Amino acid sequence: MNFLRLLWVFLRVGVMGEAAYPANFLAHLVDSALELGTALAGLALIFAHTSTLGGWGPDELVALIGVYFLLGGVIGLVIQPGMEQLTEAVRDGTLDFTLAKPEDAQLLVSVWRVEIWKMIDVGLGLVVLGIGLARLGQRVGVAEVAAFAAALVAGAIIVYSFWLILATTAFWLVRVENILVIFQSVYEAGRWPVSIYPGWLRFALTFLVPVAFAITVPAQALAGRLTLAVLGGAWAFAVVLFAAARLFWRIGVRHYSGASS
Amino acid sequence: MAHDASEPFKDTRQVPRRQGRSLQFRPRPHYTKAVETTPVIQVRDLKKTYVVTEREPGLRAALSSLVHRRKSHVPAVDGISFELAPGEIVGFLGPNGAGKTTTLKMLSGLLHPTSGQVQVLGFTPSRRERAFLRQITLVMGQRNQLVWDIPAADTFELDRAIYRIPAADYRKTLDELVALLELGPLLGKPVRNLSLGERMKCEIAASLLHRPTVVFLDEPTIGLDVTMQRRIRDFIAEYSCRHGATVLLTSHYMADVEALAKRVIVIHHGQLLFDGDLAALVQRFTAHKTIVVQLKDCAADMGSYGEVVSCEDGRSTLRVPKAETARVTGRILADLPVIDLTVEDPPIEEVIEQVFARGAA
Amino acid sequence: MTGLADLYLQQLKTGIATMLQYRASLVIWLIGNVLEPLIYLVVWTTVSRSTSGTVGGYGTRDFAAYYIVLMLVNQMTFSWVMYEFDYRIREGTFSADLLHPIHPIHADIAENLSSKAVSLPFMIAAAAGLTLLFHPAFNFSWAAAAAFVPALVLAFLVRFLVDWTVALAAFWTTRVTAINQIHYMAVLFFSGQIAPLTVLPRPLQIVANILPFRWTVGFPVELLLGRLTAAQIGTGLAIQAAWLLAGTLLVKYAWRVSVKRYSAVGA
Repeated sequence: MNFLRLLWVFLRVGVMGEAAYPANFLAHLVDSALELGTALAGLALIFAHTSTLGGWGPDELVALIGVYFLLGGVIGLVIQPGMEQLTEAVRDGTLDFTLAKPEDAQLLVSVWRVEIWKMIDVGLGLVVLGIGLARLGQRVGVAEVAAFAAALVAGAIIVYSFWLILATTAFWLVRVENILVIFQSVYEAGRWPVSIYPGWLRFALTFLVPVAFAITVPAQALAGRLTLAVLGGAWAFAVVLFAAARLFWRIGVRHYSGASS
Repeated sequence: MAHDASEPFKDTRQVPRRQGRSLQFRPRPHYTKAVETTPVIQVRDLKKTYVVTEREPGLRAALSSLVHRRKSHVPAVDGISFELAPGEIVGFLGPNGAGKTTTLKMLSGLLHPTSGQVQVLGFTPSRRERAFLRQITLVMGQRNQLVWDIPAADTFELDRAIYRIPAADYRKTLDELVALLELGPLLGKPVRNLSLGERMKCEIAASLLHRPTVVFLDEPTIGLDVTMQRRIRDFIAEYSCRHGATVLLTSHYMADVEALAKRVIVIHHGQLLFDGDLAALVQRFTAHKTIVVQLKDCAADMGSYGEVVSCEDGRSTLRVPKAETARVTGRILADLPVIDLTVEDPPIEEVIEQVFARGAA
Repeated sequence: MTGLADLYLQQLKTGIATMLQYRASLVIWLIGNVLEPLIYLVVWTTVSRSTSGTVGGYGTRDFAAYYIVLMLVNQMTFSWVMYEFDYRIREGTFSADLLHPIHPIHADIAENLSSKAVSLPFMIAAAAGLTLLFHPAFNFSWAAAAAFVPALVLAFLVRFLVDWTVALAAFWTTRVTAINQIHYMAVLFFSGQIAPLTVLPRPLQIVANILPFRWTVGFPVELLLGRLTAAQIGTGLAIQAAWLLAGTLLVKYAWRVSVKRYSAVGA
């Protein structure tokens, strides 16, 4: 598909851009390892005092952290850099170049920057996920893994659409001023299962900044707690949000091009 | 019986259709009508008005602007019309804020016109159809599309993928561009290590990789030194000649237009002031001619012949009204011991300034 | 001295004005600063509810109280200089700072104070909101409140000095992110943010008492919550004062060697 082709092209550019700085690899590895260490140490601290957190056991929470890092890595790899570059391009006018290319502009701005070091986060996430799965053992079967994959993809689509909507506001706000940072601040909350939060916060983390669908729901699938209803709901939300994001994007581009509404 | 005048020129060594008419079917070129010169670019009564919200500085005004926004309509382009034939190089001249960039953006589909018609290669640009975008290119002087940290060659590869240029064509085009622009040693360096001029050359090369038939250049030589400006101008001329590309070039440097375009469109305050030959422009808008007289030394009384602009080492520069030129020249030749005398048009910059001043009035 | 006071006043004014310009960033930053302690509040109250007794001496409502106060104290002692220095060196703005006759730390402190001035109303409102939602068990006494003020001021100064010294690492290496990350981790664990310090295992508690971080956030929080005896408060304040002295000397020395290196390497 065109999307994969272009993603591959920009991925290569991302690698080439960073290939000049091999020392960065170790530095980024240390960074990510420290972050992971902090998260796991926090878990250890909690489970020194209790055996379950909001109904979740330690192995399930390890898997949750794995999802947290995995998805965080994907976001940092391609979604976040792309959206950040989009807001800059709107501000300095280089978006004109993109609009003059014979490819769908939304597709281009979604894949045009790849922060290759985030692969480390993805890798670490997979490792932790693997450890969590190993510890969960026989409780995880084919059905759970399939549900997990489905939930993860839905979560990724939801997160991407959310970021796109945030970044599209750049067409109207003269200074977007890091409005994108809101996601990173709130993403932290996803380290823990959303069910422990009070109702109002749970709502905010599900529908306002969709962290729940991104992390908790896929982790629920692995823990065998995911109902088909919730999975269906996640996909429905993903489809609707994606369509809304695309529509908003097109409105944004029309506004940028001075088309009369 | 008669041949069809609109049919393309065929090898007419054909069997005559009717007996006894064979002599009439001698091969005759009739492609004056055959190749229809549909203009590549057609602009009719194009307008673009920006809506700007105004606000005074200060806290009180900031608060009141939350409630009541004061809007004003700024006409950036105010009803212009022109056409470009295929292969033309046209210079779009005007001071800052004249509407040049706005027009260019409307032609490349980046901006929706407020009213009027635009057609480029038969497409409506603002619809941004893929087939249209594949045939055009836009180069903007102050802005880069090259990826900063990697060698230019890698950005070229990127464009190749985006435009889906077949490998063989890409190789050929790239080789040609590298030769014409002398890019050889530059391709391997990261873009951020290139000088401004080198970067501009790479930008231009990147924009031409997909062999567009229409090239939009927005102030391509701005900020460059004189030698580099000249190189780029030469390249554009050469490229257009070789590939028959239609080039629309905006600039506020007269030298760009002088060197490249036979035809110049002058725009000011969003309106067309002039559209035609550069020479005709000079003709129409100059009221004066310059007479340069070389004498032994600066004669005291050159002022009686015309306005003395300068006098140095016996070389006086005079400005006289066009109508008087012949008479004054005659008088000078008769009265003074002239070593040399030339009659010149005023520098083009002056002409353009006058055009703008006239337009502003 | 009046020159210094004047500088602070000016910086405060410009700092506040600038911050009000970037309203969206400000709001998002504040939301983040409320969310982080809130998350731990929820986590630990959840843990506490699932156990029958107390965790490290904290009951459910104690945890709520702890984190609400922590949110305020953290906001009042927080600084972001580590992230600035790398940028300043790369952009070369430090050269301008070096030309000023006043030590650059003053401008940073003033800018920091202006951020606190702007954010305080918001944080108090957030604290009030969280109090309504989580029913914390507060245990205020006037004595504690009186001791809290110097403790908070000392905490802010100590934290700022330590942060500033760590930030100077930017003069010595470009790999500041790793150093910042380690520093952040240390702050998280040893200042009582990831959990109240009495919840930590014994060895870590000892480490926490040695490092300065407890004295920058955890100590004032525990003080205000009424969890410390008078003797402990007295000792704590003394330790804070000692760290203030040590921190000042450290900054002086580190700054001097860093400037030497900066000028040697080339501005």
